[in-house]
Amino acid sequence: MTKIGIMSFAHMHAHSYAECLNRLPGVELVAIWDDDAKRGRKMAKEFGAPFVKDRDKFLARELDGVIITAENVKHRALVEAAAAAGLWILCEKPLATTVKDAKAMVKACKKAKIGLGTAFPCRYSLPLMTAKDMLDSGAYGEVYSVACTNHGQSPGGWFADEALSGGGATMDHTVHGVDLLRWMLGKEFTQVYCELGNQFHKETMKTDDLGSMNMEMEGGIQVSHIASWSRPQSFPTWGDVTMEFICENGVLNVDAFNQKVIVYNDKTKHAGWAAWGDNPDLGLILDFVSAVRDKRDPVISGIDGLRATEVTAAAYKSSKTKKAVKV
Amino acid sequence: MNVAIIGCGGMGRLHAEMAANCGLRVVACADAVRKAAMSAAAPYRAKAFENPMGAIKSKEVDIVVITTPTPTHEKYVLAAAKAGKHIFCEKPFGRSSLECKRSIAAAKKADVKLFVGHVVRYFHEFEAIKAQIESGAIGEAGWVKLYRGGIYPGNAKSWFRDYAQSGGVTFDCMIHDLDWVRYVFGEPKRIFCQALLRKTPTQLDYSQVTMRMKNDVIATIIGTWAHPSGFRVKVEACGSKGMVQFDSSDAPVSGEARKTASGPTMIVPMSPVAVSPYQREWEDFLGWVEGRSVPRVTAQDALRAVQMAEAALQSAEKRQPVKL
Ligand SMILES: NC(=O)c1ccc[n+]([C@@H]2O[C@H](COP(=O)([O-])OP(=O)(O)OC[C@H]3O[C@@H](n4cnc5c(N)ncnc54)[C@H](O)[C@@H]3O)[C@@H](O)[C@H]2O)c1
Repeated sequence: MTKIGIMSFAHMHAHSYAECLNRLPGVELVAIWDDDAKRGRKMAKEFGAPFVKDRDKFLARELDGVIITAENVKHRALVEAAAAAGLWILCEKPLATTVKDAKAMVKACKKAKIGLGTAFPCRYSLPLMTAKDMLDSGAYGEVYSVACTNHGQSPGGWFADEALSGGGATMDHTVHGVDLLRWMLGKEFTQVYCELGNQFHKETMKTDDLGSMNMEMEGGIQVSHIASWSRPQSFPTWGDVTMEFICENGVLNVDAFNQKVIVYNDKTKHAGWAAWGDNPDLGLILDFVSAVRDKRDPVISGIDGLRATEVTAAAYKSSKTKKAVKV
Repeated sequence: MNVAIIGCGGMGRLHAEMAANCGLRVVACADAVRKAAMSAAAPYRAKAFENPMGAIKSKEVDIVVITTPTPTHEKYVLAAAKAGKHIFCEKPFGRSSLECKRSIAAAKKADVKLFVGHVVRYFHEFEAIKAQIESGAIGEAGWVKLYRGGIYPGNAKSWFRDYAQSGGVTFDCMIHDLDWVRYVFGEPKRIFCQALLRKTPTQLDYSQVTMRMKNDVIATIIGTWAHPSGFRVKVEACGSKGMVQFDSSDAPVSGEARKTASGPTMIVPMSPVAVSPYQREWEDFLGWVEGRSVPRVTAQDALRAVQMAEAALQSAEKRQPVKL
């Protein structure tokens, strides 16, 4: 039995990860720690695992690995503590809010000889995997340009508090697109231009809620990416991940979460989307659990988290200098 | 009033029809290719010219329509102004802002009306989007995205395939959206652009723009001449209280022929309207010529659109933003 703990339910993805752990055979969610004891107790009840209030006591339990789903800025301290305890780690994205933190985390895990993974579940989305297969088949030839979006509704709460999140929508929604392209094209980002701002939520928060980026990858591939919390409350779904690939032999489009039925419900007074596609989180958690068992790095490693953080940092720098900056 | 069409390709023929629909007489059709001039002239029993200058100077002509390749616009605008004719010039106004400035000066000196066909301002869906934004339906607008294009236009020998003449998708096609964003959100502050401008092994162009407006709105604009088929327009504007979306592929009528004359079949969406946007821009132009109204788009606007497109291409070359 592989024993996994969850550190903090601040990030809503923790719910899905906990469900995945409970669904997978040979895995046990053995304990939950949270610096918000009320939330921790509630989640412990919901997912049937004990809540441990003291962090050191939690880390001293019989554990093989932990999933860290705390507020962005807390990732580093928790990763370092878990690494020191010799535990395998899956850390929510973004791995860190600064390049310095991300590098320190990768280093700490290397030193402790434990595996560090970054939670980029989109790599396990079947529509996106299919698109990668189509590109890899060579049928589309060389990729010249890509236009991506990762839109969402405003998550509010700590996400909109820079002291805890490190930034707004650009911090939250740049890394998925970046990681997907690094994975699909096998190339690194070299340059970033970004216009960002608080475009929609001036009354309720201070952070940016949209970043419009123009980036370059090795070989001169031209990429635009929109990271946003632009979807209104009345939007039929949470948001999207879309990509249009302009290739030598054709055009490829992916709308990763466009497996849905449209629901018209008089109670909500607006149309909604009910998703029926496979949950990509399951693949992510399955790989993490196998990595823990096999004592290897998760497929999506800390280095992948670091690379994505480097691009986000470049985006924020570009928005300040109003210049395209090197990654 | 009598109209001369200079350049009898796709747009020349369309504008002849619009002018006729407005009750004007098409009396002259000129094209460097004689056959093109003759076939365009036939339905109107107009006179065909191989030399546009002959048509422009013709006494009976009141309005000159310039629908030749973009780099030749200025030459014919100057000639028409000199001949004292009112002018309907297709967009892009000119191949450079300098050409546009000279054209504006010539029209002013000759005291003729000079109109540039930024037809997107007259499209029903774009009017509806603008009306929603202005009604406050989406609250305060903060970001707009526009997407336009499809297959690379023109045949292998077409002027569209010479970037020096057409300026590619950014200068020829995205200019519609650059103009519309400025029309709705005011003056731009800076622009960043990435453009493919490929010649080999296949000619294709794809352009991605991020633009910051003076009022802080951010615009993301994509233009494509990189698709294997079709033509599509998408618009999305998001604000503090909602968003408005349009997608031309979601149309009331769509046909797909089992066999087409030119290669593979494709779905052709159609959105019929009683009065076409091209007709509406003609009515607006004529209202101005006849002294009844001022047009929705001015030559100055068209110059600004050219300046924005120029800045975009400059940015694409420098790989840095360009101030406007
Ligand atoms: N507003 C719109 O929706 C729209 C759409 C397409 C094109 N356009 C613009 O309209 C203009 C014409 O485009 P088109 O699609 O009709 O092109 P086209 O290639 O179909 O037609 C151009 C015509 O001009 C003729 N010609 C070329 N050089 C000439 C010269 N020096 N003197 C006289 N005739 C000459 C050609 O023989 C051809 O018949 C361009 O500026 C283009 O950007 C606007």
